[in-house]
Amino acid sequence: MKSIITLNVNGEVHEIAVNPWRTLVDVLREDLKLTGTKRACEQGACGVCTVIMDGKAILSCLALAVDCAGHSITTIESLGSSDGLHPLQQSFIDNGAVQCGFCTPGVIMTAKALLDENPNPDDTAIKEALAGTYCRCTGHIKTVEAVKKAVQAGREVK
Amino acid sequence: MPRSSNDYSVIGKRQPKLDGPLKTTGRSQFTDDIDLPGMLHGKIVRSPVARGKIISIDTTKAEGLTGVKAIVTHEDCPGLMVSPDRKILCSDRVNFIGDEVAAVAAVDEDTAAEAAELIRVEYEPLEAVFSIEETSAKGAPVIHEGYEKNIMDDYNIDFGNVEKAFAEADHVRVGECTFNPNHNCFAEHHVVIADYSLPGKLSIWTPNQSPLYIQKSMGSILGISESNVRVFNLNTGGAFSGRIGPRQHNFIAAILSKKASRPVKIRCAADEEFVVYPGGGYFKYIIKTGVMNDGTLKAMEATYLFDCGAYWNSSFNVLLRYKYHLIPQNYHMEAMRWKEKTVYTNNPPNMYPHGAAFLQLKLAQETELDIIAEEIGMDPLELKFKNAVAKGDTTLTNVHYTSCGLKESIKKVAKKSSWKKKFKKLPPFRGIGIGCGAMNSGGPDKSGALIKIGEDGKISLFIGLPDMGQGSHTAMAMIAAETLGIAVEDVEVVAGDTNAAPFDIGAFGQRGTFFTGNAVKLACLDARKQLAETAAKKLGVKTSLLVFRDGKVFYGEEPEKAVLFKDVVSQTLHSEDGKHIMGKGFYHTPTTSREPWVSTLAYSFGAQVAEVEVDPDTGIVTLLKVTHAHDVGRAINPLAIEGQIDGQVFSGMGQILSEECVMEKGKILNPTMLNYRHARSFEVPEMEYIIVETNDPYGPYGAKEVGEGPIVCTMAISNAVNNAIGNPVREFPITPERILQAIKAKGKK
Repeated sequence: MKSIITLNVNGEVHEIAVNPWRTLVDVLREDLKLTGTKRACEQGACGVCTVIMDGKAILSCLALAVDCAGHSITTIESLGSSDGLHPLQQSFIDNGAVQCGFCTPGVIMTAKALLDENPNPDDTAIKEALAGTYCRCTGHIKTVEAVKKAVQAGREVK
Repeated sequence: MPRSSNDYSVIGKRQPKLDGPLKTTGRSQFTDDIDLPGMLHGKIVRSPVARGKIISIDTTKAEGLTGVKAIVTHEDCPGLMVSPDRKILCSDRVNFIGDEVAAVAAVDEDTAAEAAELIRVEYEPLEAVFSIEETSAKGAPVIHEGYEKNIMDDYNIDFGNVEKAFAEADHVRVGECTFNPNHNCFAEHHVVIADYSLPGKLSIWTPNQSPLYIQKSMGSILGISESNVRVFNLNTGGAFSGRIGPRQHNFIAAILSKKASRPVKIRCAADEEFVVYPGGGYFKYIIKTGVMNDGTLKAMEATYLFDCGAYWNSSFNVLLRYKYHLIPQNYHMEAMRWKEKTVYTNNPPNMYPHGAAFLQLKLAQETELDIIAEEIGMDPLELKFKNAVAKGDTTLTNVHYTSCGLKESIKKVAKKSSWKKKFKKLPPFRGIGIGCGAMNSGGPDKSGALIKIGEDGKISLFIGLPDMGQGSHTAMAMIAAETLGIAVEDVEVVAGDTNAAPFDIGAFGQRGTFFTGNAVKLACLDARKQLAETAAKKLGVKTSLLVFRDGKVFYGEEPEKAVLFKDVVSQTLHSEDGKHIMGKGFYHTPTTSREPWVSTLAYSFGAQVAEVEVDPDTGIVTLLKVTHAHDVGRAINPLAIEGQIDGQVFSGMGQILSEECVMEKGKILNPTMLNYRHARSFEVPEMEYIIVETNDPYGPYGAKEVGEGPIVCTMAISNAVNNAIGNPVREFPITPERILQAIKAKGKK
């Protein structure tokens, strides 16, 4: 019943045997031990499990692992290293956009997908991009602010 | 001693959370990230009927499924009660849709779910009741033996001469507000890992606000010493008053683990999350208010009818009766009356909504104050200011305020929001409203803290206070750093394991900053005293003249006469006596003659102004702007304070405008985050923050709570809507549909 698939996650290729009904979030967390991607509603409603696939933010709870074979997947583990954090991560910390932290990886990946596509989004574009995430702790106020500040900082660098 | 925030080197600075790098990189551990060797996955079999008799439970088929390791029913936990009215697993009766009947542990989640489906339970449905009216009706079935008419609690209390005060009032009115159930929408679903695989030792991993409470309750209910219950409190993905005591699935995981002799994880899936945790239940407030023509408040009476659902949550007990203290909390009055009746129904048992349902009482009160102000031709802001409590006041219920910034908050919020220019001067369907609130900083309790100082001068701070995102660990590190005169980065908070944590009942009741903060300060002062001896010898000055600041210990009069903090630590360690610096602190409420429920020493206050626009065709509200002023005593970390205000405005906005578990005969019709309506990122308001500092004499560095104080001011939002449409909506949340009805009803008047 299981099929052998190759998953490209954060630039590494993994060969995994999966049942056809298993979702990407489960395979990332259970098989690859990439627990930075959190799992919550499993109905595509909260955005907690957001990862990037081929440059687009997707909900890993709604993606079947077998369908992700051959695609390029990026998770929160690829952002930041011992040399320093990604500008979005730093902006979230500096601007108080992190509280309980459960939704944070999903919100940051959603923001990253936005900025990768459009490095200069206006406020409306940021708010709309984050509309699929859910963050009761910050009430979305400082998360939106953190993305705005990261965009401004990016402009200043240029 | 420093007297203003400017005099501090750490306190009052915008300090990013110390666990930010862990959380933004996904490295923070939450319970579901833990995978113990040999761990099984559990699934609970829940009742599909709202009230019924259990005829039989047949587990044969499930037992035969490959991968099933344990199945438990009431026979595996005979006589174990989680509260006086509730067993761990139902034996003969079920009382709500979702009631726990059996559970299974298997090698993976899929097998556990399949096995749960194979457990056959036969029920005989019985007549059920779903509202206060139904459950109180003549001939209604009795849900729990011994609770006649399904009355769970009935409590009335007066303060002052109520009849006289109302009789003397120039103007008296009565109005009511009803509230439908809602849900806290924790980002992290309910999840627990229990390891009860060795005799008499239980380990629990679960998101929570009080490891100690879980330890104590689970120990006493399961019959093991509380020290043998070890609670690992990792990160908690949202708490909002809702994760205080142990929950049903914690006990079920424990008995499954015991039976299987392996650790068991139970994680609530999708719609199960709503069944496991309905927030506030259905309740109604009838408020009677008496004022003089000049706006002086004479008396208030609150009748409180509450549907607690099928069982009584024991952690609710204290706060149910505590609530009467809220009536005179903000305002002077001569007399007050509290009439409470709590009833059982066959709805899911209720827990706290964010704000512990304090918002709803304050909201009902403030709605009435706005209306009565209108009726006597007074600006509601002026009426509230006129009656507001102040420093040195003692309320009708004998609560004393040693610091109070309510009047200052009202003044500042009025100015900042340009209230005078806007109230009654806005275009049609635009509105402005004010809400005021007060909040206790904890209750009558205690906290401990320990520190050890490494040879390099870095601190390990051991506390039992969880950080659910509010930033309590960062705040504690800041208090420690300020007290020892070092950098906040030099403090490592060690928490999350009851084996290592000093006594602390947890992060709820807005107690963290005040209680644990005081304990941390005391622990650091203890360590400082030990270090001062070494430094004093070295510098040749008295210990009392030493200052600890910027990583140095120096003589106050001559700052250049200094030694490095880390050198003092090292010299103490390697001195002839040899001393490893460890400090301990314990803070408890001094004994007072006041009532036990109110003997906390510090209260915070807040005032909020909201501005809205209502679409008269759709009833949709746009919350334009919220200006919030909060008296925090002393701002430890303004960045975190703003974050607390944001989250509470968001939750208050949800509870007031949209969030509702739509119920039909005990069933939640919208148990998903898609159908349960919370605000999205593009719907939240512009925020303006005003931090008021009143320097509380008992608070650590003068600090008080900002835990759930701001949420009890968010009725500014409904008051603004009422102001916009000119006809108060009485059923909450005030959804577009209800707003349209109110607009229509007004048109007919």
